[in-house]
Amino acid sequence: MNGTGQQPELSSVVSAKGLDLTFQTNDGPVHALKDVNLEINKGDFVSFIGPSGCGKTTFLRCIAALETPTGGSLTVNGMTPDEARRKRAYGYVFQAAGLYPWRTIAKNIKLPLEIMGYSRQEQDERVRKVLELVDLAGFGGKFPWQLSGGMQQRASIARALAFDADILLMDEPFGALDEIVRDHLNEQLLALWARTGKTIGFVTHSIPEAVYLSTRIVVMSPRPGRITDVIESPLPKERPLDIRDSAEFIEVAHRVREGLRAGHADE
Amino acid sequence: MQNFAQEMQTAFALILTGDSELLGIVGLSLWVSLLAVLFAALIGMPLGAALAVGRFPGRRALVVLVNALMGLPPVVVGLLVYLMLSRSGPLGVLQLLYTPTAMIIAQVALVTPIIAALTRQVIEMLDAEYAEQMRSLGLSRLATVPVLLWDGRVALLTALLAGFGRAIAEVGAVIIVGGNINHVTRVMTTTIALETSKGNLALALALGTVLIAIAVTVNAMVSLLGQQSEAQDEVRHA
Repeated sequence: MNGTGQQPELSSVVSAKGLDLTFQTNDGPVHALKDVNLEINKGDFVSFIGPSGCGKTTFLRCIAALETPTGGSLTVNGMTPDEARRKRAYGYVFQAAGLYPWRTIAKNIKLPLEIMGYSRQEQDERVRKVLELVDLAGFGGKFPWQLSGGMQQRASIARALAFDADILLMDEPFGALDEIVRDHLNEQLLALWARTGKTIGFVTHSIPEAVYLSTRIVVMSPRPGRITDVIESPLPKERPLDIRDSAEFIEVAHRVREGLRAGHADE
Repeated sequence: MQNFAQEMQTAFALILTGDSELLGIVGLSLWVSLLAVLFAALIGMPLGAALAVGRFPGRRALVVLVNALMGLPPVVVGLLVYLMLSRSGPLGVLQLLYTPTAMIIAQVALVTPIIAALTRQVIEMLDAEYAEQMRSLGLSRLATVPVLLWDGRVALLTALLAGFGRAIAEVGAVIIVGGNINHVTRVMTTTIALETSKGNLALALALGTVLIAIAVTVNAMVSLLGQQSEAQDEVRHA
């Protein structure tokens, strides 16, 4: 598919070419995305970073077929985003944990499984497995309000993992959490990514978070929402938390910051 | 009112001995109101769900209309149903006036807007929370309806209860279309109205007591049901 011949393993999961999305509002058209070109390959961990209104969440929502682009082409697993959505190609973790208060954690995770018609036994088995994966074993019987914010967000990740989608799309999942909890969850997310080999699209406001997690960092800027820089991370796949003090890390963070600043200066 | 205690005593005697007239009236009341709620649910729930999830022109206006119809004055509904069913009315040939069926029709007209409006509220609230989640799970909008109805079942049961409460306690419509005929269309509320005006307070009080007991019991059942289903979940996943 990529024709370079050097890395035949590389297969494109998400492919955006000249993607445009214009919202018609009462105050006139808003260019949420303009000429966005991006390839996400299998097993990538791609972060989208930029100020509010840069279209990072909108782009993620386009991949998930929650928004419809007004121009350009976008494929997910070689299909249209909506076909991919109906084939359950991705799990989506929303900004708020979005757990239903009248269902227990286990029942929340089961919701997609119930809809997809898994047997009761299979449901229980999968719930047990994903709860272990996010370090919440034993909490299945609790209601969301009995859990801390970080635990709720982990439960929401577990729900997105429960049905074996190869793509995990995460929209600022840790945005509302404090620094310490966030560090811990970032570490766990990397471990989970290493174990499952999923392709992850991750929207964030935080430079350290983007640099720590990603194999590739997509820097975006607003009005119109567009990509200003794509940074391939030189960091190794194994990443202890203290890698954030290394020279390489600081260099990448610096480049991201420069990219964000350049985007601002354009206005 | 000096003999209130005495009347009360007679009333309880009627209930405790299972007076056949009393039982007949209570039975007819329950039968009419339960059937009315059943039919109203069959119409009102799909209508409410469609209003909540559907996107079609005129939807907002329909929502306002259904909400407004919740406040229908029973006497006027009785009058309209009377006109429809009376000998010279469009449905006169069916000869339904002064039958339990006529009372059911009137109550369906009163209860359907309540169930439809409450169902819409419940489903719309759930939909606002679930919609994107459902979509991200690959569901079409229509396919989300059964999931939403099932997840909102306790709240929907409350809607049915509200409808039942309106039906069983309603007097204006059923007295007009039913005619309050002894052993045929005499229900609890119409009997209470009649017997009170006749001064037969014992039967009125007895029926009033039963009516209150029914209302309280049904409410308690629903609230217990809600608690129990939550407790079951807790046990199953502990």
